Amino acid sequence: MSKAEQQPRKVYGMLAEYSNPAKLIRAAKLVNRAGYQKYDAYSPFPIHGMDEAMGLKESKLGYIVLFHAILGFLGALALQIWTSSIAYPINISGKPFMNIPAFIPVTFELTVLLSAFGAVFGMFFMNNMPRHNNPLFSSQRFEKVTDDGFFICIEASDDFFDEDKTKKLLEDAGAIHIEHIFTLEDR
Amino acid sequence: MAKTKPVDDLTFPQNTGILRVLFGIGALGLIASFIGFFVDSKQFHFSYLTSFSYLASFSLASLFFVMLHHITRSSWGVTLRRIPETFSYQLFIVAIMFIPILFGMEYLYKWTNPEILATDYLAQHKEPYLNQPFFIIRQFIYFSVWSFLGYRLYKNSVKMDENADWGIETLQRKISAPGILLFSLTVAFASFDWLMSLDFHWFSTMFGVYYFAMSFQAFFAMLILLGLFLRGRGLLLNTITRVHIGDAGKLMFGFTVFYAYIAFSQFFLIYYANIPEETLWYYHRLEGNWSVISYSLIIVRFAAPFLLLLSKAAKSNFTLLGISSVIIVVIHFFEMHWIVMPTLHYHGFNMHWLDITTLLGLGGILLGFFFFQFQKHSMVPKNDPKFLESLNKH
Repeated sequence: MSKAEQQPRKVYGMLAEYSNPAKLIRAAKLVNRAGYQKYDAYSPFPIHGMDEAMGLKESKLGYIVLFHAILGFLGALALQIWTSSIAYPINISGKPFMNIPAFIPVTFELTVLLSAFGAVFGMFFMNNMPRHNNPLFSSQRFEKVTDDGFFICIEASDDFFDEDKTKKLLEDAGAIHIEHIFTLEDR
Repeated sequence: MAKTKPVDDLTFPQNTGILRVLFGIGALGLIASFIGFFVDSKQFHFSYLTSFSYLASFSLASLFFVMLHHITRSSWGVTLRRIPETFSYQLFIVAIMFIPILFGMEYLYKWTNPEILATDYLAQHKEPYLNQPFFIIRQFIYFSVWSFLGYRLYKNSVKMDENADWGIETLQRKISAPGILLFSLTVAFASFDWLMSLDFHWFSTMFGVYYFAMSFQAFFAMLILLGLFLRGRGLLLNTITRVHIGDAGKLMFGFTVFYAYIAFSQFFLIYYANIPEETLWYYHRLEGNWSVISYSLIIVRFAAPFLLLLSKAAKSNFTLLGISSVIIVVIHFFEMHWIVMPTLHYHGFNMHWLDITTLLGLGGILLGFFFFQFQKHSMVPKNDPKFLESLNKH
């Protein structure tokens, strides 16, 4: 602790705790309405209506999956057309070299495979995963989030972040505890 | 769109106008078809079989949907369930409608012809299964199973409306579990008998599931259209909500893919094995302008609904759902036509006026009976234990 007093630590964000899901929703609504962008709500279980309260838009994941599906579809067709009708044509029971029906199973499988990859890895990417640590883990109180804690963290990098105003907003929303979270690098 | 009322009426307004129109169309269609019977009896029977297989598929898929619902104790579609229940109740009328096909077997099925039987090796080989008495016995079994299941499930559901006896729900499940097993077997063999045996040289073990996949996709299209029709008349606006129709839309999307998977698999296995007696069936359908229908099945029945309904928002967008459903219901008829007719018109696609009159005749009568029955009772299973859960779905 003494080391921290010597040099000012960089604030990562402000963490506020709320007593129940209803209060968390209300707080998220207020934070959203105040114009904050870089904030997140944390709870032990999914809360219905949280997406609307936080003003979250439809996930972009679908477009990532669609892109990969099209890539898989065209890639599989291109691969098979090139290998079996251009690069190394083999006569298979007199069927045409450009045998589209025979290409469909592989095309289908590759479309599904790449869509699944797109969905899983796209989800990781959009959630900033995998990462080794998160500044929030330094908070003792935050451990309650897997049990009975309901939190909102507003990041300091948000344009609207202001030491006093943000604190006041979170308090007005009914926070039972507010603390600073510091970035990991400066510790 | 009518104004939203805070409380929904649970019964269809007593309206004889819609019945008069539907029964009128049905009667006119049947009279015209009856005249057509004397003009061209061969064509009449093929058109009748097409329309019959088309319309029966809706009632059969409805029966499957109801039984699936009971077995899985689903709650999402309880508000929609009375529609398929009423359709499956009609299966005894569908059974009566099959009688002309029994009398027209010599027009439809070449294997009934003694001359062919005397000379054709395959006809002799398949004779233990494909003979007239056994065919008639099988039809009797199929229709008794279906009529019984449809009748019982509907009557029990209606009884629950009146006395709110939750024990009936258990009974429905007990009927549905063996029912679904019998259903899968009978529908597979019925499709073999009605449609596959038109060309008795040909066989495909996937034909049963192919008929089912087509029917179930078209069933969701019909369910969505009827749901939208009710909402369009300002009925059940708070009961059948965007969520329920959206869920039916998701299933329609899913079964569009399932249909494409099954239909392509059937084609693909035959195409790749390339055994003459199997490929001939597809050969006829890829010759001349039948190939136009073949290719448009891929585009209209699979690609169009698939792309239209791919995004999440589209699955609960009434306009897009309505368009896709209409496309599917229409192309389902053309696919049935494409299965039946090349036996008769192997040189090319040819829409006969009897195709339309038989469709209007049988369709008008069946839809007329549907609304007749639908008006009699509540439009939703209002005392179902899961009804509230279904209403509160979001």
